[in-house]
Amino acid sequence: MSLAISAPSSRAWLAGLVSHAALIVLTLLLAYLALRAPNFLDAQNLTAILRQSAPLAILACGLSVVVIGGGDDVVSGGIDLSLPAAAVLGAGIISYQLSVAGSGLGTALLFGLPAVLAVGAANSLLVVGIGLTPLLATLATSVAVSGLTKLITSNRRINVSNRAIDWVRDGDIGGIPASMLLALLVFAGLAFLVHRTRWGAHLQAIGASRAVASLTGLPTRKSVALSYGLAAAAAAVAAIAILARGSGSSPGSEEPLLLEMVLATFLGGAFSRRRIVTVWGALLGAVLVTALSTGFALLQVNIFWVSGIKGGLILLVLVAAALDERLRR
Amino acid sequence: MPLPLAAASLAPGLTLAMTGIVKTFPGVRALDAADLDIRAGEIHGLVGENGAGKSTIIKILGGVYARDAGDILANGEVLAGGAAADMHAIGIRIIHQELNLVDHFTVAESVFLGQERTDRFGGLAKRRMRREAEAFLRDVLECPLDGQTLIRDLGIAERKLVQIAAALIDGKARLVVFDEPTAPLAAAETGRLFNAIRNLKARGVSILYVSHYLGEIVDICDRVTVFRNGRHVAVLDAPNPTRTDEIITWMIGRQLDDLYPAAAVRTADGIEAEPSFAVERLGDGRSFADVSFSLAKGEIFGIAGLIGSGRDELVDGLYGLRPPATGRVTRAGRPIRLDPALAVQSGLVLVPRDRRRDGLVLDLAVTDNINLASLDEVSTAGFRRERRANARATRLADLLDIRPRSVGTRAGLLSGGNQQKVVLGRWLAAEAEIFLLDEPTIGVDIGARAEIYRLVRELADGGATVIVSSGDAAELIGLCDRIAVLVRGKLVEIVRCGEISVDGLIARTTDAAGQRVAS
Repeated sequence: MSLAISAPSSRAWLAGLVSHAALIVLTLLLAYLALRAPNFLDAQNLTAILRQSAPLAILACGLSVVVIGGGDDVVSGGIDLSLPAAAVLGAGIISYQLSVAGSGLGTALLFGLPAVLAVGAANSLLVVGIGLTPLLATLATSVAVSGLTKLITSNRRINVSNRAIDWVRDGDIGGIPASMLLALLVFAGLAFLVHRTRWGAHLQAIGASRAVASLTGLPTRKSVALSYGLAAAAAAVAAIAILARGSGSSPGSEEPLLLEMVLATFLGGAFSRRRIVTVWGALLGAVLVTALSTGFALLQVNIFWVSGIKGGLILLVLVAAALDERLRR
Repeated sequence: MPLPLAAASLAPGLTLAMTGIVKTFPGVRALDAADLDIRAGEIHGLVGENGAGKSTIIKILGGVYARDAGDILANGEVLAGGAAADMHAIGIRIIHQELNLVDHFTVAESVFLGQERTDRFGGLAKRRMRREAEAFLRDVLECPLDGQTLIRDLGIAERKLVQIAAALIDGKARLVVFDEPTAPLAAAETGRLFNAIRNLKARGVSILYVSHYLGEIVDICDRVTVFRNGRHVAVLDAPNPTRTDEIITWMIGRQLDDLYPAAAVRTADGIEAEPSFAVERLGDGRSFADVSFSLAKGEIFGIAGLIGSGRDELVDGLYGLRPPATGRVTRAGRPIRLDPALAVQSGLVLVPRDRRRDGLVLDLAVTDNINLASLDEVSTAGFRRERRANARATRLADLLDIRPRSVGTRAGLLSGGNQQKVVLGRWLAAEAEIFLLDEPTIGVDIGARAEIYRLVRELADGGATVIVSSGDAAELIGLCDRIAVLVRGKLVEIVRCGEISVDGLIARTTDAAGQRVAS
């Protein structure tokens, strides 16, 4: 007689349902929108969704790298909540430089982008150097960075009119919106690094099990530190996309992005065969979450309801992930 | 598809001579001038009781520990260093007892983790890695697997083979050290592992096989070294099943002292007549199955078994820490639900093996730890009565001889033996009737040990039923009335202590007869 592992089949069925729960609900919601929301499936609306989703897609791809390297445990795993705030800081600095200080785009980027990277460096230091829990450390940096943005922009909206920025907003290459191209570039770079290189294979092992990684002799600290740096680099690109989408910077625009970024990234795990967070899953998740927002807007659903629904979805994703873990044990 | 030759080739075996190896830790001489001599292309067994120095010498071979003294000759040449990189360079590979695999990685990714093949552009050569991993598993380990399969979809034996492939895929392994490789396997699965190991031998690789299972050792090994107290005490050529008694004698080499109190001999009738606690066909669907026994009041019942025998899991199962898949447990004839929260209420208590982690609140005072399970009795309307609590704790501390006697001391500052007594004291305070003691004397010095044994015997004489799970055969023989022997998740025998020697018990737990090893 064999004592080998074989979970009862009812349990496996339940586990399957749990790990797909968020995906099922999302599909139902999108199907409802496709049927009821006027013009939801029009080419124009679909292009608008792609255009709108660029900042979110870039941030979600960045976050996915941190989650992959830190593990997808919702409490103790890798997460960077400061990414939207860092991106908005970048957007704020660039628009201040362009519109208030009157510098050129090159100078503005030279001020803005390093500031975003510095936030990533701070997170690396706090999480890897000092050993704080990522969730709390990046929540704190997020609040601090938001404050800094308000200081720099005097908590006011700053309009920007710049040719290059406008092109990112409205332009396209071969029918693909320019902002989406920016997102695809970030996606391609991060997906290659994480899923196609030795460094990426090691990062995945480190995130899955710190013990296995260190017994195999992988450099855990360095890789995790770099993952926060890469996420910050993505946030720097997101700063440009945010600036373009809003034709300037508005304080507080990081708040809706934060929730959607976490939702898109963890939702992405449902698309992978292994039920793990991936870079391409985050990209797809971001587009679907934006489609959801757009659809609700077309239906003129009360904005507070939309927040409630998104909050419910994110809870569903996180609960499913936690249950999934327990059911598999 | 052409077979890549490089993947399936292996380097010739290593001759390794270790002489006079010394390794000391604060207060312990783990290795005391030990010798170990491994010939090229042989399977060399290493056996010894817990604490004999097996793990230490494996860690020296892996470069985890540096030896304090002694020489290592690799193929006749003196090895100067001893760091992990040096050991790896001469072709020593350790197959750790733990599986060390990522659940959601594929077979190919797991085999190449940390040694990935890349293409010209620095990207992963996924197809090539998959092909090489599959070829190696198929040709060298006789385990045809799809390289894309996820680890979590594999059986334990297959995972073990993937772990072995990961250690050997670079083709430079010359001496492979297997540390308890069959511990997590069911009996039927060991055959596949043995095939793989014999295959490695046939290709000329040297193998050091470390195991508690003597049946396996005599089955698969060409020679066996026995360690005791940090030294080699014997090297046997041509081991065979008739020589396991000889091996056990070398392993123990000591007499039972009078550490243990004399047990009042009970009759079998008494046990059957009034069962206070009975287990019927209990199984967790994984680590143990079909376990049945029936215990009387005043009985001390031992559970013996090696790592991987399901002993730890059975204890967790009895306490309700692991849900049962089959069977039931009755108390005084009535079925009870296994749940830690109910266990305390129904008078069934656990003294856990890792008491520092599971059994004590180290930052709380001894008083608080003792009263933790019986707060109701030292409270009035929900308020704690400090005086009553202290009086009660002091009385129990006296009874148990906890030192220092001051019950205000933080539990974390006590010695291992005294911590154990505090946990026992808590359950005495809660007036439990069935005690589940899991490795009660691990980390306890010899003096405190005798006191714990005396205490356990007093508990039983007072009418309690005590279940003792232990890896120490002498402890079980000295303390218990009857002992259940677990081998690979099955209760193979219940022996009466007066009728069995320490050697006999070890022979049974180590499956020395080799009956259950599939070949």
